[in-house]
Amino acid sequence: MKRFFDTELETFRSDLVLMGETAVRQVRQVLEALIESDVNLAQQVVTADDELDQLELKIDEEAIRYMSLRSPVATELRLVIVGMKASHDLERVGDEATNIARRIPRLTAEPPLKPYVDLPKMAAIAVEMLRDALDCFLQVDAEKALAVCQRDKDVDEINRQLYRELSSYMIERPETTSRALELMFISKSIERIADHASNIAEEMIYLAKGEDIRHTEHTRNPSAR
Amino acid sequence: MATPAEQFRRQSTAIQRREKVIVFFLRASAWIILLAGATVLGTIAWKGAGTLLQPNFPFINITFLAEAPQTLHVFELDGETVEMSDQDFREFRAKLAEEAAASGESAIVPDSTSYVYAAGGIFPNIVGTLLLVAGSMSIALGLGIATAIYLSEYARQGSTVRFIRLAILNLAGVPSVVFGLFGFGMFVLFFGWNVSLIAGWFTLAFMVLPVVITASEEALRAVPQGFREGALALGATRWQTIRRAVIPHALPGILTSSILGIARVAGETAPIMFTAAFIMRDKLPWEVDRWFDFFFQGVMALPYHIYVVSSKIPQNEYSARVQFGTALVFVLLVAVIASASLFLRHRIRARQRW
Amino acid sequence: MDPTTTESPSPTTPAAASADAGRPAIIEVEDLDFYYGENRALDGVSLAIPSHQVTALIGPSGCGKSTLLRCFNRMNDLIEGAERTRGTVRIRGVDIFGPEVNVMELRKRVGMVFQKTNPFPNSIYENITFGLQLQGVRSKTRLDEAVERSLRAAALWDEVKDRLHESGLSLSGGQQQRLCIARAIAVEPEIILMDEPCSALDPVATARVEELIHKLKQEFTIVIVTHNMQQAARCSDRTAFLYLGKLIEYADTQTIFINPSDSQTEAYVSGRFG
Repeated sequence: MKRFFDTELETFRSDLVLMGETAVRQVRQVLEALIESDVNLAQQVVTADDELDQLELKIDEEAIRYMSLRSPVATELRLVIVGMKASHDLERVGDEATNIARRIPRLTAEPPLKPYVDLPKMAAIAVEMLRDALDCFLQVDAEKALAVCQRDKDVDEINRQLYRELSSYMIERPETTSRALELMFISKSIERIADHASNIAEEMIYLAKGEDIRHTEHTRNPSAR
Repeated sequence: MATPAEQFRRQSTAIQRREKVIVFFLRASAWIILLAGATVLGTIAWKGAGTLLQPNFPFINITFLAEAPQTLHVFELDGETVEMSDQDFREFRAKLAEEAAASGESAIVPDSTSYVYAAGGIFPNIVGTLLLVAGSMSIALGLGIATAIYLSEYARQGSTVRFIRLAILNLAGVPSVVFGLFGFGMFVLFFGWNVSLIAGWFTLAFMVLPVVITASEEALRAVPQGFREGALALGATRWQTIRRAVIPHALPGILTSSILGIARVAGETAPIMFTAAFIMRDKLPWEVDRWFDFFFQGVMALPYHIYVVSSKIPQNEYSARVQFGTALVFVLLVAVIASASLFLRHRIRARQRW
Repeated sequence: MDPTTTESPSPTTPAAASADAGRPAIIEVEDLDFYYGENRALDGVSLAIPSHQVTALIGPSGCGKSTLLRCFNRMNDLIEGAERTRGTVRIRGVDIFGPEVNVMELRKRVGMVFQKTNPFPNSIYENITFGLQLQGVRSKTRLDEAVERSLRAAALWDEVKDRLHESGLSLSGGQQQRLCIARAIAVEPEIILMDEPCSALDPVATARVEELIHKLKQEFTIVIVTHNMQQAARCSDRTAFLYLGKLIEYADTQTIFINPSDSQTEAYVSGRFG
């Protein structure tokens, strides 16, 4: 039977999808701004973060309202809980994107340390993970979500590699320290974005199957967290 | 420890034995009542059948059902015992006299023994009883239902109404002869209605009123409160509610209980013997000069007839025949009226059920 | 709660916050005291019920919520010793306890649905037309129209249109309750009072009645008494919590269920009362 409050759930879903799209857009744009050294675009990303914050507030409000007034159970209950958590993760993704964007003016002030190879690669994986995680929400696909979690390892690997590389730069040429540090933070941010994508994927598995697979062998090697 | 199989094995405990004794007594009392009822009705049916039925076509003694009571003349003629009703006997004597006159001899009238009311039938009595039942039940139901509606739907449920109810209940316990005397004093003498149908109606009606009121109140109470609330919530007045949402659903119950009233009204002798019943009346009730005379005539009635033929006239085999015949007809009549009410109730019930 | 967040930005979500804002009050209760003999059932209750909204009255048994509901169409008049001792109830500004008020007319405008389903043991058709026939409507076409309109409004038409002349009691419990709602709708009231309308129904029938309530508020003002907290949360826009004849808290349903200001309300809605 269709209930009159089904529309509220629909609104909730579409808000969540909208938030996901916005987060992906933010990450893509900040990456573009980094590669193209586009300070304006970076500034846009910083400004647009407010959209995500507002969406998170709205989704939380809707979730609380739905839980308190509609007494959801089973799939609906999982959807509402997962929605709240995922919106929090997406908001953090947005924050990381903003963090990166704030570093861009300082980076563009000096000549690039080295050509951007690993960072875009890493970021591409992170964006893809985020995309896939959101697809899993739309399609309720636990298998795909599991694959997302497992890809987190690749990002971690690249992050570690970059860390080593940038560390040696700093030792060899101490004048590059500030730039290397900036890049290190950016790398760390992208790694965090991938982590959030992975979290969202885990939440989607919970939504699809009702199983909590966090902190288990399924997802990642324990050192990643 | 006993195994489960042993625990559930049939065994007779003291409690179960006591249970058996109790059931035995309950069953025995039911059977005794049944036996007593069967004996009474069986006797009436067996002895009455001799009067009501006959061996040849049409098997039912039409004369008994369709004629008025007459005196029976029994006499010896040519060595045989002849039974003749008063009317036939007169014609027979007239014929004899005629024949005697024609032949110039003096008429030889046979010596006859006469038995009052032993011949003819009980048609006026049946008619009278039906009239009494119809009239008194109409009055009783009308007054009774109206009173019941007032008491249970309108009146403030206080100590006054409780007192009235108690009084009505007590009235049900008053002996019927007291009602007869009351009717005689009130309707026959004070109102000057004399011994008449209408005096009998009111007397009988007053006698069954307590039963009708109590039963109607019961039936009204049995109608779910929801029907009243439902109607009132739609903007119905008190009376609209009662008229359309209560009475239709209380009617089956009222009818059921009024069956008891019918049996009582039809069967009571004492209330009518001072107020409405004639031992013998030549005219049938509808043979009146002016229409309102109908109400002010006395009638013959079955129970009073039984009373008269079994206690007011000399007892013999001929009067016994009339007694049992009348009793059987009476029982059948009550049964027919009761079945008719049951049928009516069933019809109403089938339409409305909750 | 931050007032900006209670405002629902999406047009598809029922705007709970607008329950008091912008909607005129159709029932205004002021300082109402009500007694059953010596027992005080209502103690200084004041509240304003907005039109075209669902208002839920909740509270433990004997808190006076049914009494309050039955004040609105003066069904309490039927109970001996029941008496309003103080205060007023105004519907559209008219004091319904006033001497010039015709109670029958009041009840035509303030319909009622009861806890125990009570269709008359007549046909479905006769059940619906009962109220109109009381008003002397005889025209067959008008009655037919009213039957179809009311049954459609009560979401029952498709289920019973082929058996309008069968007994109302042949319907299932949930259908009977919707028939009672249709019967109330037939006389075109402004307000419909519902006294625990779902307490005797199974969850599916309850859900249907709740759907119906949600639909009906477009056309009617609905006041519902319920013991089912989820029902109050799901169906109503405003919720009043009564306890021992007093109005403890009256606010948007969302406020009552998320952030009640009174500790008794909180205890009651979270099932920890007493």
